[in-house]
Amino acid sequence: MKTLLLSLVVLAAAAAAFASATAAGSPPDLSGTWSVYPGRAKGSTPPDPKLVAPPPGPLLLKPKYAQPYEAMRAKQRESDQRGEPLANASTECIPNGMPTMMFPIYPIEILQTRGQVTIIQEAMSQVRRIYLGQPQMKIEDVPPGYFGHSVGHWEGDTLVVDTVGVKEEVLGYKDTPHSSQMRITERFRLVAPDVLHDQITVEDPVTLEKPWTYTFAYRRNPGYQMLEYVCENNREYVDDKGVTRMRLQDR
Amino acid sequence: MSSIRVAGLTGAALAGLAMLVPLAASGHHSFAMFDHVHRVTLAGTVTRFQWTNPHVFIELDVPEANGQTKHFSIECASPNVLMRGGWKYTDVKVGDKVKLLINPLKDGSAGGMLEEATLADGRTLGDSNPPGGVFER
Repeated sequence: MKTLLLSLVVLAAAAAAFASATAAGSPPDLSGTWSVYPGRAKGSTPPDPKLVAPPPGPLLLKPKYAQPYEAMRAKQRESDQRGEPLANASTECIPNGMPTMMFPIYPIEILQTRGQVTIIQEAMSQVRRIYLGQPQMKIEDVPPGYFGHSVGHWEGDTLVVDTVGVKEEVLGYKDTPHSSQMRITERFRLVAPDVLHDQITVEDPVTLEKPWTYTFAYRRNPGYQMLEYVCENNREYVDDKGVTRMRLQDR
Repeated sequence: MSSIRVAGLTGAALAGLAMLVPLAASGHHSFAMFDHVHRVTLAGTVTRFQWTNPHVFIELDVPEANGQTKHFSIECASPNVLMRGGWKYTDVKVGDKVKLLINPLKDGSAGGMLEEATLADGRTLGDSNPPGGVFER
């Protein structure tokens, strides 16, 4: 009887230890391929409102930036209506960079390895690396680029990521302007076992009155294998008026 | 800016991967080059099938009433999107006789965007461009 009791106690202790190790020691598993949530499939049930991405916060550009931005958007709409769309980076096969690459226009893949989280966006095969537990670099020490330099750490169930060093020519989400001082904070959290939110907050003391926050939601896609994407044959080109045209062939 | 009404993707096996993405966020404005209201069906012979990113292209010779041939360049979605919509890269070959429902170029030149293809073997496949949607008409 004593042995049985002892065994049960040992078992209970082991179970408790395992549970706490899983909770405290291992971060949530974000690995796999993810598509947009909710997405839309024939006959699918309506999405759970608790899992859908919350609406974005307001974009509050400083007046110096707000006016040209609104004018540019109006010009885009007007050109589209005339059937002469203005060209942009994607016309020339140029990747979105951060943070727009996180928008789930195509699936993304998350790889969790020791000390690093790597995220691949299928569209134009964009890759970013998040270095865990490392201090962030000074902005001026990061050569300005498409993806910036990202460091991250876990706060309980949330992966908090800081990114600096995205160059100004790489426009933000919805083609928003930013300065070299932009800092992007992301909070990645599973809101359900297979639904992930990336809450993105953009701060920019030069261009923004207040930080701008918006969230992208993804659904884990087990079994989906990422496809390659090499932007090699862009038949769309930019004419001398900045308008997108399609290159026709004779045969 | 065109708004988007959703149509289901063809390919039941890929239903779980269907994605609806708001066009405004992607910044891909070139859909505006095409007339989404006055669609045209072209019946012709494939002279080239370019299975490349960012857009698959079908080059088509279309016989005209006067006995001449007019050549069209038809832009399709990315191979990535088409595959999720049930296409295979072998579905179209040079020499195939196909019917293409297109949204023609607004500038009147001999090109357009694919909406739906009737293949040589009679199957129809949608374009899924933008992913998962069709344009409001």
